[in-house]
Amino acid sequence: MSEKRHRVNFLKIMVLAIAIFAMIIISFIGSEVGSGIIGSKPISLFNVEAPKYHPAPEKPFHHLPITNTMITAWISIAVLGGLFFIGTRNMKIVPTGLQNFLELIVEAAANFIEDPAGEKHGRWFFPVCTTIFLFVVANAWVSLIPGFETIRINGEPLFRSANTDLNIPAALAVVSFCYVEYWGFKARGVSYLKTFFQFGPLWQALKLIFTGNIKAGAGGLLHGSVLVFAGVLEILSHLMRMVSFTFRLFGNMTAGMILVMIMIFLVPWVLPSLFYGMEAFFGFVQAMIFGGLTLGFACAAVMEEE
Amino acid sequence: MEGFLGLTLPSFIGQLINFLILLGLLTFFGYKPIRKMLDERANRIKKSMEQAEATKKEYERTRVEVEKQISKAREEGQSIIGQSEQAGERIKEEARQEARKEAQAIVDRTREELERERDKAINELRKEFVDTAILAAEKVISETLDKEKHRSLIEKTLEESAALMINEG
Repeated sequence: MSEKRHRVNFLKIMVLAIAIFAMIIISFIGSEVGSGIIGSKPISLFNVEAPKYHPAPEKPFHHLPITNTMITAWISIAVLGGLFFIGTRNMKIVPTGLQNFLELIVEAAANFIEDPAGEKHGRWFFPVCTTIFLFVVANAWVSLIPGFETIRINGEPLFRSANTDLNIPAALAVVSFCYVEYWGFKARGVSYLKTFFQFGPLWQALKLIFTGNIKAGAGGLLHGSVLVFAGVLEILSHLMRMVSFTFRLFGNMTAGMILVMIMIFLVPWVLPSLFYGMEAFFGFVQAMIFGGLTLGFACAAVMEEE
Repeated sequence: MEGFLGLTLPSFIGQLINFLILLGLLTFFGYKPIRKMLDERANRIKKSMEQAEATKKEYERTRVEVEKQISKAREEGQSIIGQSEQAGERIKEEARQEARKEAQAIVDRTREELERERDKAINELRKEFVDTAILAAEKVISETLDKEKHRSLIEKTLEESAALMINEG
């Protein structure tokens, strides 16, 4: 009995696998590249337009300076804002449905942030870090809605994955940088500047040398110079963070978009689904990284140096 | 007006504003109410846990109290039963004594009655006998003695004979 059922299941799986494999092969052969390889004519059903990539976002409305990534960013904002707006109408002490889901997100984020940052600083970091995460993940996932990038107005796509517009990662990076420095000053006051400018020991050493105590001064001279140099490095690293933030997100999301476009062009059926799944995962990971690194830098900035 | 990789100032500022709007929206509509709710719930749970703890303690205390009272009541009941048994025993004993006394009294009274009846009968008999004897004596010695003298003489004789009989008896 069970042996028979096993055989039937195995048969079903085999048939399904063959069908999927056939779909992949057929769609590959029918596409422009595949038909070129075997020397036949491309089948129009599988003949997808060759991917074009411009780093700059397109402007679908000729006379308006609105880019398609701006529109998708608004969609993300509307989706997130709408969810939170609807979910927090008449909240109940025993949560259900959407409220429960939103509470899950907020509580997970709060735990994630307050674990390294502590209760007090965690409350400062929470809104910015969580919003960065949600915005990035929403931008990534909104663009994965099937057919999203195929709607065209005036020959230009109406929507485009917002994270692939360099302006968005750059804006987020600047926000992250500004908040980190702000929190640094808020937590440590003017002494936060000591992270960048440590002239004290060098000054002392020079004073020793000029007052004749050359032997003691020479030792302090090296230590003081190293501290000054470390301060310069610190300034550079804070500035470079913005660049690395920007290009990490931009590069990952753009590469993902191009990868999906190429897969759709090469094998229009089945295979792109895998890459869609992968992109969904990578969007989440990139959002985690952006929010998490902001959190990490913030924690480092507010930490009292011994 | 396309900058490096599409980086343009208007777009950049636009996206900056977008992000800040989202930050404001989510903070105002999302994080604040939700965190307030989470804190409130945590508080409420803490409070109810404390309450449960207090209730448990109260229950434990009450249970001990009740148990103590029950055992006390049992002891009391036991002692009451003992007392009642004793009282019952005493009452029974008293009743028995009473009954015995009453019976004794009845017997005594009856005996007295009987004795009195007997004495009366004896007296009556004696009177009758005296009268008969007088009558007879009158007939025998009529006119020799007046009636009163005769009677006292006979009475005296009878008394003497009675005393004699008692002394002998």
